[in-house]
Amino acid sequence: MMSLAMATENENLKIVQIGHGGKFQKRLQEMGIYKDSQIKVIKNDIPGPLIVDVKGSRLILGRGQAQKIMVEGSEYG
Amino acid sequence: MDKIRIALAGNPNVGKSTLFNRWTGMRQHVGNWPGKTVEKKEGTFHYNQQEIEVVDLPGNYSLTAYSVEEVVSRDYIVHEKPDVIVNVIDAANIERNLYLTVQMMELGANVVLALNMNKFAFEKGLKINKNQLSQLLGVPVIEIEAVDDTGSEQLLQTIIKVSKSPNIVLGRLEYGNEVSEHVEQIKNIIDQDISGLEAPSSWIALKLMEDDPEIIKKIEETGKGQRVIGEVKKIQRHFNDVFGDDADAAITDARYGFIAGLVSESVKKPKIDKITRSDLIDRIVTHKYLGIPIFLLIMWLTFQITFTVGDPLGGYIEEAFALLGETISANLGEGFLTSFIVDGIIGGVGGVLVFVPIIFILFLILSLLEDSGYLARAAFVMDRFMHKLVGLHGKSFIPMILGFGCAVPGIMATRTLENERDRFLTMLIVPFMSCSARLPVYALLGAAFFSVYQGWVIFSLYILGIVVAIIMAAIFKKTIFKGMSAPFVMELPPYRIPTAKGAIIHMWERGVLFLKKAGTLILALSVVIWALSSLPVGVEYASQESITGQIGTVLSPVFEPLGFGEWQATVAIIYGFVAKEVVVSTFGIIYGVGEDGSGENAEETATGESSGEISNEQASGEASSESVDETASDEEVAPEENPGFIAAIQGVFTPLSAYAYMVFVLLYIPCLATLATIRRETNSWKWPAFAAGYTFAVAYVVSLVVYQGGLLLGF
Repeated sequence: MMSLAMATENENLKIVQIGHGGKFQKRLQEMGIYKDSQIKVIKNDIPGPLIVDVKGSRLILGRGQAQKIMVEGSEYG
Repeated sequence: MDKIRIALAGNPNVGKSTLFNRWTGMRQHVGNWPGKTVEKKEGTFHYNQQEIEVVDLPGNYSLTAYSVEEVVSRDYIVHEKPDVIVNVIDAANIERNLYLTVQMMELGANVVLALNMNKFAFEKGLKINKNQLSQLLGVPVIEIEAVDDTGSEQLLQTIIKVSKSPNIVLGRLEYGNEVSEHVEQIKNIIDQDISGLEAPSSWIALKLMEDDPEIIKKIEETGKGQRVIGEVKKIQRHFNDVFGDDADAAITDARYGFIAGLVSESVKKPKIDKITRSDLIDRIVTHKYLGIPIFLLIMWLTFQITFTVGDPLGGYIEEAFALLGETISANLGEGFLTSFIVDGIIGGVGGVLVFVPIIFILFLILSLLEDSGYLARAAFVMDRFMHKLVGLHGKSFIPMILGFGCAVPGIMATRTLENERDRFLTMLIVPFMSCSARLPVYALLGAAFFSVYQGWVIFSLYILGIVVAIIMAAIFKKTIFKGMSAPFVMELPPYRIPTAKGAIIHMWERGVLFLKKAGTLILALSVVIWALSSLPVGVEYASQESITGQIGTVLSPVFEPLGFGEWQATVAIIYGFVAKEVVVSTFGIIYGVGEDGSGENAEETATGESSGEISNEQASGEASSESVDETASDEEVAPEENPGFIAAIQGVFTPLSAYAYMVFVLLYIPCLATLATIRRETNSWKWPAFAAGYTFAVAYVVSLVVYQGGLLLGF
């Protein structure tokens, strides 16, 4: 288990835990980021936001926010 | 036949607006949802003699109570009960898009799915079996391309058909035993205890389990909700104990689970994700090192194109107004009325309308950048800096970019920021983005003093605006807006080729604000300026003895340290508070630019009055070098190249004081329209008042530094 911010690009991941609550958690849910969902990091090479792939859509996610999302490798691809 | 009422719904960036524009064209009405700061677009059109009224619901991902847009959408569905909801879906992104669909179905809406952007889905290797999907969901599924006419016929026929025989399909949604059982349980209690609810009771049950504050309030208001709410609490505790999860998360899972099932049966995905064109472009555009130079290049090109194309067009308008003024003077002769029309109205409004081409072209390019998806990349690229320097995230950068066009849409665009602190902070700095209304001022003074370096001078002002915005934002973030900025998540839409129609409508919506301003505020103000410049009776028009001149003379010492203590400059600043482009029309009125004999008139002012006060050498030196330029480019008379006007301006300013003046115009008090927008968006007088006060102080200090510093350096 590691934070999404540490993930390498193009690795298929599964979300294990989301350390956000309330409104932001809702926002993530409706955009497709929730516990047990699949996620892939597309871009993680600058000390700024990440670009992730969720169900085929591309999302920009702030680094601080990515740090609070825990993921693990996923066999699903 | 009764008209059919339909609503367009869908996630942001799915082509909803494109479809709306295709149907309604220019016959649309843009307003606000009652009591909300969310834009409401309506329009009507005919299909086979059937009148169809369409409302474009705000783009959202969900129907929770967490954002105004979502509340507006669901309230509309619940209370207005449109005959049909056309749910536009990005086929390439179908799984996430269906999350909104199922929520509308929960609400008992009569939904038609319009699968858009099938080409892009195809490129990604997705194969959607729409018949299968339609069967599983129980609603019609139509493939369309919003950018052309593909599927349009079929979609409209389907809409008319289902408007007559609605298919409400609550039963199709399968959320698993655990969730379904509890929903059923609560639904039964609601049905027993409370009657007359507008929404389906199963939906209310779901929302109660999700802890939806608005629905809880509504149920409490009925006075009969104790039993339901007690039961809901019990179930929520049960979810927590058994699954270690809140009911809310369980319901989200259930929805996505249902969707995953749908998708696995109706959509074929490629084994390996195909790399799309969008991804390839992004590799370059969002590149670690290339991203920022590309962003700067695009911005530079935007302004370059705006000027190259807009300037000559402005010249034609200027010629037309000059001709109009001439004709009127010739027909009416000298007199009060002629002066009113020619000096007052043509001089004021005409002076501003000359810049309409520039403003429309700028809006057109910004619309193209937005519609193509690039602005979202700009937010990504700039996030690093915004974060480090300002503590705002990249999303705040979009309102700032729009601010280059006009601060009003810029401030309205802050609605997309979830956190109120970020929102207010962004509103306070957006006015520093040099809007198109300030361009006329730069164009005028730039042409008068900086000839070939004009472009660079104007560019430096844009940069200065950004720098000041960043500094102020950093200061605010450490003082009045202390605290964490909102979390950042934003969709990166795939690139698409913007449609001409969409971009033009977009441009028109924004540009028309400016035209309205010219027709109302600026017209009224031009009359006021003209009156104040003509009174007291018998005084020479716009001379120092007129009321205008007197006001300017009294206040001008305030601006003496900034290098523009002349009364004309002061008057222009005072009037420019109403709208910045009025600075130019004030000059126009004071120096008689709209008059047919503008050259003579203005030259007279310049030589007769002001040149004595100014270092003679400089004024004449500048003037002669300019006049060579002028004769060379005589065939193309752009507004700021009117030789008489230029000479008059050169009599009042030196290059340094002209620069200080432009800096002041850039930074000082946002125009009335902007302040009114801030007032509306913050719902308080405090913020516009604060914005006015602090920007004046900033403008004064920066101009002072520029002028006095420039003097020390020997400019």
